[in-house]
Amino acid sequence: MLFSGIPFLFYFLPAVLILYFLAPNSLKNTVLLLSSLIFYAWGEPKYVILMVFSILLYYAFGLLIARSEGRCKKCWLILSVITGAALLGIFKYCDFFLSSFNEAFGTSLPLLKLALPIGISFYTFQCISYTVDIYRGDAKAQTDLVAFGTFVSIFPQLIAGPIVRYVDVENDLISRSHTFENFAEGIPRFLTGLGKKVLLANNLALLVRTFRESPAPSVVFYWLYAIAFTLHIYFDFSGYSDMAIGLGRIYGFHFPENFNYPYVSRSITEFWRRWHMTLSRWFRDYVYIPLGGNRVDFLRWVRNIFLVWMLTGLWHGAAWNFVLWGLLFAMMLVLEKRIPSLRALPGFWGHIYVMFVVTLSFVLFNADSLSQAVGDIRGLFGAGGLPFVNQAALYYLRSNAVLLLLSAVGATPGPRNLLLRFQKRMGGGVLEFLRPAALAVLLLVCTAYLVDGSYNPFLYFRF
Amino acid sequence: MNRNTIRKAGTVLLCGLWLALSVTAWFHRPVEISTSERRKLAQLPPFQKSSFLNGSFSSAFENYAADQFPAREAFREIKSHFQRNILGQMDNNGVYIQNGFAAKIEYPLNTASVEHAIGRFQKIYRDNLENTDCRMFFALVPDKGYYLAPTGGYPRLDYTAMTHAIAEALPTFDMISLFGTLDIDDYYRTDPHWRQECLLPAADAICKEIGIPPASHQSYGKVPWDVPFYGVYRGQGALSMAPDQIVTMENSLLDACRVYNYETNQYTTIYDSSKKSSLDPYDIYLSGASALLRIENPLSQNDRHLILFRDSFGSSIAPLLVHGYKTVTLVDIRYISSGILDRFLTFSNQDVLFLYSTTVLNNSSAMK
Repeated sequence: MLFSGIPFLFYFLPAVLILYFLAPNSLKNTVLLLSSLIFYAWGEPKYVILMVFSILLYYAFGLLIARSEGRCKKCWLILSVITGAALLGIFKYCDFFLSSFNEAFGTSLPLLKLALPIGISFYTFQCISYTVDIYRGDAKAQTDLVAFGTFVSIFPQLIAGPIVRYVDVENDLISRSHTFENFAEGIPRFLTGLGKKVLLANNLALLVRTFRESPAPSVVFYWLYAIAFTLHIYFDFSGYSDMAIGLGRIYGFHFPENFNYPYVSRSITEFWRRWHMTLSRWFRDYVYIPLGGNRVDFLRWVRNIFLVWMLTGLWHGAAWNFVLWGLLFAMMLVLEKRIPSLRALPGFWGHIYVMFVVTLSFVLFNADSLSQAVGDIRGLFGAGGLPFVNQAALYYLRSNAVLLLLSAVGATPGPRNLLLRFQKRMGGGVLEFLRPAALAVLLLVCTAYLVDGSYNPFLYFRF
Repeated sequence: MNRNTIRKAGTVLLCGLWLALSVTAWFHRPVEISTSERRKLAQLPPFQKSSFLNGSFSSAFENYAADQFPAREAFREIKSHFQRNILGQMDNNGVYIQNGFAAKIEYPLNTASVEHAIGRFQKIYRDNLENTDCRMFFALVPDKGYYLAPTGGYPRLDYTAMTHAIAEALPTFDMISLFGTLDIDDYYRTDPHWRQECLLPAADAICKEIGIPPASHQSYGKVPWDVPFYGVYRGQGALSMAPDQIVTMENSLLDACRVYNYETNQYTTIYDSSKKSSLDPYDIYLSGASALLRIENPLSQNDRHLILFRDSFGSSIAPLLVHGYKTVTLVDIRYISSGILDRFLTFSNQDVLFLYSTTVLNNSSAMK
């Protein structure tokens, strides 16, 4: 079920909220768990079994690790990590490896052709982090199966993150406060995310799709596509994260932030401190640091970086362009480490450098195949005698100019700062009046877009 | 009021609006048809275990929820306004307004679709027309984008490529060019179709190519119909536009003609007044979409026959060709398979005209 869909917004969410707040505290987790399973089953009726299996398995792993000592404890941990990797391997990567093997060696091993369970990368990573945290002593094993099931399956962040580690919500799972303050902060956050998704990301996605369907490319059209997709993926994903964080807040959870205006970064290192922060943190804590982090010699550090970023690429998708996408960032991070001046480019040039690399990376990211990626990148630079501009490119540039401008400005802290300045000058009372009115308009306009059946996919569903 | 109270009141009002929309959606009485979009709206799907497990229930419910949302038309208009006036988009759902005319972006040229249509025409030629003494013609009807797109900078079809592909694939057909006989004022403002009262020059061009005398323009009287015609683009683009008016060209010859419908085995008239209140008043012309029709002209002085392969554009121009024939047979291969035409028609010594709009050729999957 999509957050940005009529069934969720006007059927599922109101019904669950009413049930949740009517339920006594002792049953609130049960309401959340059951509603989360229904939410998941709506889109993946068969794979809800896999979800329940994961909950039971990792609940048991948690208890076994907590109650074991020494080698036995380590064995349970290793088994839990291998199980998670195996689940991902079977459902997400098996066909990728098999087809790559077939291509490389001319074999014809049959593919499994399993549908990718929605959100498997997110909830499997959460499960693995749970057992690792227990093993390290950073968290206590959860004895309440309902509470643990709620942690794994809670619908606000089930599908596309943020990746919530158990320690982030350990206290909230057992006792959380349900205050009006939480509600009043959660609703605007959710609606802001909805607006990002429905009004900006979906319209940018249409431009991306139009480019793909156009038979007459030009250099300008390629850049229009690249910029549109770069903005689209940000608003799609950060919009979802805003909705997840806002919903979590309504239910009394405090989910970690996932984005911090990544497109204002002046280096790739900074970019990855601002983009998909919960994923970066996961890889840092559970892969990079256990490998030795940066407290090793240079060559081993380079190996660690490349390994982590290859895995980051693979996490995003089982295809070679995702691997290359990850490795591109690994290379840039190593370069920035070796050439410190790259990280210290003067303001404007730093932004240009980051946006150039990031835009190229997303062109690679969004390609259906390596050959398409190469074609797209060649197109950006006019290879093969491509015309600089044509009628279609000019039209879509003109038609989307306001959208692109709004999106570009919206990807910076500018609007937020302006609002804060306005609040300071006019006093908070005026904003308190205006805010609900603006949010009501936002809700109505988003509803109008959804009612008209606009293009509405979520990019990060596939991860 | 202090800030906290204002904040609480604002949140309560916002949640109240959300809840009110939700409750209205839950108890909204389903509507069967969207008159503006001219389509049936999705209804609540029956819940079955199998449909839930294969995901078809959830997608059907999503369609139902969007289609049956309360005040749907008002929401669609809000979206249209926001899209065009706030986001500055030049079209909404592909529909744009230029010089007071609504048109749909028909771009790019769908070569696969054009090839599919040509394949159907070639099959009709091979199965029915080859080695006969029929005279064959082809006329393309430009969509509104041909006239509007250049003035507004909108993308449009590659008409040259389309015409060239047809001419090359059907070398025994004489191509009739209508592009120069029409202009944008010959189309409805809110609908893709052309206006019959403006088609005499186009009909003359066809008559000239085929070799029948053109009709006397003075013989026709223009009869306006007292029905507001909200065209399909107005609905698709959720546009606030004044309605068009249907005007029919009438004379004593057309009054005398009868229209035989092969599907219903019944005779009707050229202009069907019962369609005035239908979803699409353009159906007044020859009663709308139909697989196989025959217009019989009892006042004909000759024994010439025309077979017109056509789409909906043919319904309004066919009456303007009737004067030259004893019968005009209209075939719409979107509703009848081109493989079974010989069960109903004999091809011999007729004029055969293929008259198709560029829009239909660019979206020809329905052609059988």
